[in-house]
Amino acid sequence: MRLRKLSAAVAITASGALILSSCTPGGEDDNGNGGEDPGQAEGQQFSVEPDDTGKAEMEDDFETADDSISVSMGETEFVSYNGFTPETYNVYNSTIIDQVLGGFWYWGTDNVQYPNEEFGEWEVTGEDPMTIEYTISDDAEWSDGTPITNADFILDWATQNPELSDGDDSPMFNQVSHTYGENVPDGPEGEPDEKTFTIEFPQPDADAEIRVGSPMPAHVVAEQNDMDVEELVEAIRDEDTDALEPVAEFWNDGEWFSDPGSLPDEELIPSSGPYKLSSWEAGESVTLEANEDYWGTPPGVSELVFRFVDDGQHVQALENGDINVIRPQATVDTREQLDGLSEDQFVMHEGEAATWEHLDFNFADGSPFADSPELREAFAKCVPRQQIVDNLIEPIFPDAEVLDAREVLNFEDHYDDVVDESYEGQYDEVDIEGAQELIEEEDADGTEVRIGYQAPNPRRTDIVSEIQASCEDAGFEIIDEGSEDFFAPGGAQESGDFEVALFAWAGSGQVASGQNIYSTDRPQNYGEYSNDTVDELFSDLASSEDEDEQQDIIVDIETELWDDLHGIPLFVHPDLTGSDASIQNVRHTASQSQITWNAEQWQRAE
Amino acid sequence: MLSYVLKRMGSSALVLLASTLLVFILVINSGDPLQELRESNADNVEFLIQQRIEFMNLDEPWYSRYWIWLSGVLGCLGGACDFGTNISGQDVGVLTQQAAGASLRLVFIATVFAIILGVLTGIVSAIRQYSTFDYVVSFIVFLFFSLPVFWAAVLAKDWMGIRFNNWMADPGVTWPTTITLAVIGAVVIPAIIGGPPKRRLITAAMTFVFVMIALPYLDWLNFARYPQLGPAAIAIIGVLFAVGLTALLAGMKNRRVLYSALIVVGLGLVSYYATFWLLIDPPGGWLLIAGLFLLAIALSVLVARLMGGHAKNLATTVSVLTAIIVSVLVLLDHFIRAWPGFLAIKPRPIATIGSVSPNFTGDFWEVSLDQLTQLVMPTMILMLVSVAAYTRYMRASMLEAIHQDYIRTARAKGVNERTVVFKHAFRNSMIPVTTIVAFDFAALLGGAIIIERVFGWRGLGNMFIEGLQNADPAPVMAYLLVAGTAAVLFNLIADLLYAVLDPRIRV
Repeated sequence: MRLRKLSAAVAITASGALILSSCTPGGEDDNGNGGEDPGQAEGQQFSVEPDDTGKAEMEDDFETADDSISVSMGETEFVSYNGFTPETYNVYNSTIIDQVLGGFWYWGTDNVQYPNEEFGEWEVTGEDPMTIEYTISDDAEWSDGTPITNADFILDWATQNPELSDGDDSPMFNQVSHTYGENVPDGPEGEPDEKTFTIEFPQPDADAEIRVGSPMPAHVVAEQNDMDVEELVEAIRDEDTDALEPVAEFWNDGEWFSDPGSLPDEELIPSSGPYKLSSWEAGESVTLEANEDYWGTPPGVSELVFRFVDDGQHVQALENGDINVIRPQATVDTREQLDGLSEDQFVMHEGEAATWEHLDFNFADGSPFADSPELREAFAKCVPRQQIVDNLIEPIFPDAEVLDAREVLNFEDHYDDVVDESYEGQYDEVDIEGAQELIEEEDADGTEVRIGYQAPNPRRTDIVSEIQASCEDAGFEIIDEGSEDFFAPGGAQESGDFEVALFAWAGSGQVASGQNIYSTDRPQNYGEYSNDTVDELFSDLASSEDEDEQQDIIVDIETELWDDLHGIPLFVHPDLTGSDASIQNVRHTASQSQITWNAEQWQRAE
Repeated sequence: MLSYVLKRMGSSALVLLASTLLVFILVINSGDPLQELRESNADNVEFLIQQRIEFMNLDEPWYSRYWIWLSGVLGCLGGACDFGTNISGQDVGVLTQQAAGASLRLVFIATVFAIILGVLTGIVSAIRQYSTFDYVVSFIVFLFFSLPVFWAAVLAKDWMGIRFNNWMADPGVTWPTTITLAVIGAVVIPAIIGGPPKRRLITAAMTFVFVMIALPYLDWLNFARYPQLGPAAIAIIGVLFAVGLTALLAGMKNRRVLYSALIVVGLGLVSYYATFWLLIDPPGGWLLIAGLFLLAIALSVLVARLMGGHAKNLATTVSVLTAIIVSVLVLLDHFIRAWPGFLAIKPRPIATIGSVSPNFTGDFWEVSLDQLTQLVMPTMILMLVSVAAYTRYMRASMLEAIHQDYIRTARAKGVNERTVVFKHAFRNSMIPVTTIVAFDFAALLGGAIIIERVFGWRGLGNMFIEGLQNADPAPVMAYLLVAGTAAVLFNLIADLLYAVLDPRIRV
């Protein structure tokens, strides 16, 4: 349940398929945020100590051990080799596909982009318009021996190009995102059988360097439609929709989508990553085996098994050795269970995920907060943020702290700088008297505040009780409006029947994804917030390609959002994973790629 | 007979049909299958909604949706089954096939063991009514009966799974454990066997000494890791059973029965050698084993018919039971032979999750052992609950029978206690229990939903729950069909068994 929300939401793992709309309400216990290095855990072993938040470089003699490691992310079943359709695009599917389909980059443990140098490299070659040149490694080839070439990336672009549409103007390819196609209208330039291509952004794009993701095999798609790769590329470039129709059909609903338990034929699902799909037991597991033809560092073990197990069973299964790496729900109970395991044999990885909880005001007509910055301030003064973290989050994650920003999370690099410059600590301490004064000045004693959230969610219910206890002293009347259809059509969120909404956003690692949340009339601006300065700052941010400039704009945005009180950030969700201590290189990450982000480096210590 | 069966099946089919209609209507009204899509902000939400409407025929009225489903299922009669598609467009027929195997295996084995164990303890505690044994059994049974399954499962995982596996890594029995077990044995065994105090004392002493010698000896053999049975043990255990069963059911004076049972043991030993190499890697797997088993039963019937003389029927019962025991022993011997090899592949034999180990490869016996070890815990837990019920029913039913007039008459005319209990009381008391067992099978399928969840099986129960959560009728209906058919089938078997048990019933 938990991850399903997140999945609908987010989960850009190492795919280029980043959607601007990738922020949706995150589920309850999604993930958390972290300390200095989110990847540290007591008792974990490394074959090579990582020196940054990216993957450590393995020794030259790192070899595939004849061994099996099993991991479970939860009970959601594998769906398809093509994990880029909206039906198949979720965290669980991506954790598996990420091991099979390689790409130019990945997210580090603090949600920062790192290049995957084994796959290839890229370079910004022009500033205006922005042009990026990608070079695929000479050795890179699919596990069936076909070289990875520009053609694969041209197909990847084509599937995200909304210009390729069928009769009724909807995109032909059922892709989860079409941003890449919109921002790069001409697609990758380069001969299909070569290994260097360039893409050009006519409009500036702050997230330009994450648009190109992991491609699917163009030669398989071509072959299935009785074309050769050149014909396929030609049809794409000529926008020959008649020729592309069977291609789109194959891509949307072809042999890649098989019944549970039966993988498509081996030649249809070649691998460009360290592992390849080997077998699938419906409802039980998917097994990956080492891709012997992988040109880079060989994977750690010959067999990596993803098991689909309800996360309530994870800890005992870990203890019994049925699963070696687990990702149970981050609750006090699971923490205690994991804590109770022998420290020599098991490692508890605790940390934070890129999902953060916050209170948002309703700015729609009729809301008492809409036109009254004073009341918003009064409310912010009485919300016991520190107490909420102490009582509800610290038991799960002892290093938890209050979150003081929205566009950067506290495990990210610039968090301290941004907070220092944008927030003066005015809401750190509960100030009941100050709130009372403000309410009296506004003559608003007894104002009803309905706090809406998606129920059932015990933690949010507790948060509301804490606010209730504190803010009622100040003069607000807090009403717990948690309901099962808060976000449903016709629910309280849509009809605007709330004064404050309590939910979480799942961060995506993109620079400008907040535009959809804070800019006027944007789809995720649920509280109908409108602030010209913020609108302007976000459109600057979205078109800025310079990192320092982006940071400055983010500071301005945070300052404005604190001054105008769009809402109150609370905390970053905690995350718990457990692993067998004998397995080296298991490392927590705050990014959406999950604990399996470096699974190809996992190996049992000798 | 045939017309009776047909009539029963006809009426059952009608009941099943009516229940499918009812459940179908309930399921499609239980929620909005498009809800999550309505909340979605994907670019192509319209397309997805359209696609789901197509998968689930949401644009049709309810009667038409039901008819589409029903005509698909009725197609099975013509050999073209169509169980429909679920919410994500997967063929439910395929899903059901994958799910049903594991679930039915679990429930079937649990039921069989529960019947055997429940009936046996029920009889003993009825015969020894108000004895210490009776009270202890009643206590334990009520304890099991009131156990929450999910909680028992978590405990079982810890003790029978994790700790057992830890113990298996370096098995050993300490002296305190040995003494404790010996004392328990010395208390329990005499309580079951009964008799005057002196006999009880002797039984207790013998049990104590036996355990004190046997456990350290087995420990010395490293029996847990390298268990052995072998033809000698099969012969000894077989003979013990042949004699014991004869004594219980026919009396030792009935030499013809005894001889036929002993001949069956002898034939069993011969067949052990005859089939040894064939069974090392049995072609056809379980089919061959089932075939050999039937052959063994047929042989034992033949022996009994030839040897039995005037006690033909009694001899058949004893011989068949002996044949079953010997066959099980032979099977056990092969499993035991494969055990060390199996441990090498799977050092922690009892897993806490899954119905099979992923990617397990081995010979026939190793693969079967893998399935068995995965089955042990869920089966035990499922079994405990129904054993509790069966024991109580059997005890009550047996007590009722024992107090009937015809039992008093039988005793009055000098029939010995053994015949009274087994021939007059036991048989009559089985009738109500048979009814309960038939109902219980379907009920256990329901209970298996929780077990499957706790042990991470993707069985029928999981299909049912997911279907219900998504207001997705096809998987729920498939579950209903399997469970319903099983219920109908078991009721039919029960009806036929009535006739066997009670000669007054003529069907």
